[in-house]
Amino acid sequence: MPPTDIEQVLVSVRAQMDLDRETEHEVLEEIRSHLEEVVAEAQAQGADEAEALVQAAARFGVEEVGTTLQEVHAGWGTADAVIAAGLPVICALVLRWLVFAPDGTALGWPQVLVRPAFWTIALAALLVPLLKFERWRYALVSWGFFWIITVIFALGEAARW
Amino acid sequence: MSLQNQIRKGSTETLILSLLAEEPMYGYQISQELHQRSGGYFEMKEGLLYPTLHRMAQEELLASEWRETGTARRRKYYAITDKGRRALSEQTTEWRTFIQKLMRLLDAPEGATPAG
Repeated sequence: MPPTDIEQVLVSVRAQMDLDRETEHEVLEEIRSHLEEVVAEAQAQGADEAEALVQAAARFGVEEVGTTLQEVHAGWGTADAVIAAGLPVICALVLRWLVFAPDGTALGWPQVLVRPAFWTIALAALLVPLLKFERWRYALVSWGFFWIITVIFALGEAARW
Repeated sequence: MSLQNQIRKGSTETLILSLLAEEPMYGYQISQELHQRSGGYFEMKEGLLYPTLHRMAQEELLASEWRETGTARRRKYYAITDKGRRALSEQTTEWRTFIQKLMRLLDAPEGATPAG
């Protein structure tokens, strides 16, 4: 059954994809823009709206495109998620190793403040996720996690003093 | 897959880089330029351009940005990056060598061994 509006074509493309909402929205907006161009061109050449839409959908190759776009984008979401989950753990372990004594106490913690390694790891943990991740919510989660840990740590020490 | 389709598929990335080396373009414009400049030879399902563009953007060969147009329509423009220009240069050299060698083989008289 031929599509009657652009939304129907987009639904057909979306049916072939299983991406995160942000990526899917971006992809579908681009396809919508393309289809609007083709429909406008066909109408300018004398086709009525329904005919123009059928032409646009046929030229576009709806199902094949959805599947191929899924293949292109799917791996990135997973990779980002793994990095976003793994990076805070690795940084937390390194910082714990730098800050705490083997018995688990932080007795000598002021000494780490003069170690370049501490500041390098701490700044990387705070800034890299925000600057590096393409998907803002992964960046925000990692970034937020480390800022919360930092605040808790600072408040804990301040209260002890 | 026919030979023609294999050649098209293998050359799409180079063709896109070549077009975008001239100026930033949006998807529909790229498909129209490919169609017009090749006399329809490089025609493919227009939608299949997008997976290629997105993959190239992931590989940082292209950068993209949304722009507003005068008709209240938004278009996503793609521009070639420095990495893309280097890739274009390498791919162009590779295609030239490939075509040159292929033609030398095909044009060689039967039984003769092409030099070089």
